[in-house]
Amino acid sequence: MTEPLPRSPRSVWLARLWLALAILFFVLPILYLLSTSFKAPDDVLQGRFFPTDPTLANYPAAFGHVPVASMIRNSVLVSILSAAITLLLTVPATYAMVKLGFMRTIIPNITLASYVAPPVIALIPLFFLMQRVHLIDTIAGLALVYGIMNIPVAFWLLRSFVRAIPDEIDEAAWIDGASYWRTLVRIALPLLVPGIVATALICIILSYNELLFASSMTFGESSRTITVGMSLFQGERLVNFGQMAAASFAGMVPVYVIAVFFQRYLIGGLTQGSVK
Amino acid sequence: MERSRNSRLKIASIAMVVPMVVGLAIFAAYPLVYLVALAFSRSDLGNRFQKFVGLDNFTWAFEGTIFGTSLFNSVWFALAASAIQVGLGLFIAYLLHSYVRQGRLLRTLILLPLMTPPIMVGIAWKLMLNPSGGWLNGMLLRFGAIDQPISFFGDRTLAFPAIMLADTWQWMPLVVILCFAALQSVPEDVYEAAAVDGAYPRRTFWKVTLPIIAPALVAVYLLRLVMAFKTFDLIYALTQGGPGNATTIATFEIWRTAMREFDVGLAAAQTLLFAIVVTVVTLPVVMLFNHLEKRT
Repeated sequence: MTEPLPRSPRSVWLARLWLALAILFFVLPILYLLSTSFKAPDDVLQGRFFPTDPTLANYPAAFGHVPVASMIRNSVLVSILSAAITLLLTVPATYAMVKLGFMRTIIPNITLASYVAPPVIALIPLFFLMQRVHLIDTIAGLALVYGIMNIPVAFWLLRSFVRAIPDEIDEAAWIDGASYWRTLVRIALPLLVPGIVATALICIILSYNELLFASSMTFGESSRTITVGMSLFQGERLVNFGQMAAASFAGMVPVYVIAVFFQRYLIGGLTQGSVK
Repeated sequence: MERSRNSRLKIASIAMVVPMVVGLAIFAAYPLVYLVALAFSRSDLGNRFQKFVGLDNFTWAFEGTIFGTSLFNSVWFALAASAIQVGLGLFIAYLLHSYVRQGRLLRTLILLPLMTPPIMVGIAWKLMLNPSGGWLNGMLLRFGAIDQPISFFGDRTLAFPAIMLADTWQWMPLVVILCFAALQSVPEDVYEAAAVDGAYPRRTFWKVTLPIIAPALVAVYLLRLVMAFKTFDLIYALTQGGPGNATTIATFEIWRTAMREFDVGLAAAQTLLFAIVVTVVTLPVVMLFNHLEKRT
């Protein structure tokens, strides 16, 4: 920890005020959404922060109006499956690049290029590809698309974690006669667990939150994700804000649970990959 | 012996890399080839490659559609939103770094906007800013600051700033986390030397800290810039590109051309043009980053 320089009491007070304002800014919309989910329709129109007569009715109504529960289940399934695909594709490649020195300059460049390209570029071609292989409108198809989509992010996160493993450890295993694959699985993988957890969580969140591909590639109840479900609310003429807030909040719970319980992994992963 | 080791190394390397490269080829290389083919053809969603039309789709994108406007909107949205977020994010990170010792709860709270699905970010801010039942309008009305509720997303001049507000809410936390890490990576003796020289904290920040973290800051700006060009969900949730075309950005326009008007050939041409614009805008920032990193 850096020792902060001595500060005048006034500047400390001012800094706390700014930080308090920032935190207020960050939590206010979430709290207002939560509060709105407990409001009756005419109460919503008052525009007050707290509900005057709190009601739980919006939750069962929203879950009945739209299949919120099955959408959240689809989203969770797709995001976990896609993170597994991403890791299976990316961990060995990152290891080979960092430790075996394979395609050391090409791989970073092609991953970076495909990250910079806006995903809307891939939308139309992948739509037809998925249609061709009959994976359109399926959980597996969407998970496959996300699994590939998140490769660049996973690669950049994992790279710094693999680099952090001292070279001597792998070399000792090779000298002992272990094969490269065996070294990866038995030696490197256990050391990479924190990095893999962080990468998996970030990939899960990216997939869970995605809308563009999901809205074009899922139509039926068996595959439609919660972000698509919430986007459909937007098209309705008469939006019931209380129900919309209730469905939104229910859909936000899975990612917030991850944020609260895995805060350290997430912040560790985010800072590892991007700045260093 | 040495030879067999080399060939084993090569085989293992290839086997480890191939799955990822195939994945990237499916996601990046194949779409690019496919798009180029589509862009020069008349194609709709149900019936592709009807006929070769040369550059017709490209010229039509500018002459017959609002695509030029949407490109302009994308560029200025990405540049401005990223600049605001890096400026404010650095400020908050600096305060956290200098004044807060135990920040666990703070960090968790900051993470929440970042984790929120962008479509729900749109919904939350729609609730905040709505003319009927919005918190801000309710407040302003009750304090007598306004007589009529303001329709933030229905007003030509206010719609984009309102979207930037929601975008900043979501992404400034990422900037804070990254800037905080950059501030923490500044070696301690740098501060000690500055303190011995009697430099004020503020002077130390501008003269000592900022030059050291400049490459990291440019990297964060670049990351935000790239992400901002991909924005889609917020526009979808908040304005659908309106009022008029005031908030139509390129991603939304491409999506609408392909998925609402089914003109896939035109959408492909638009996509290629958009990719060129993104490259042209981000390239100077990449060059600045390389320059700064070489200097230090």
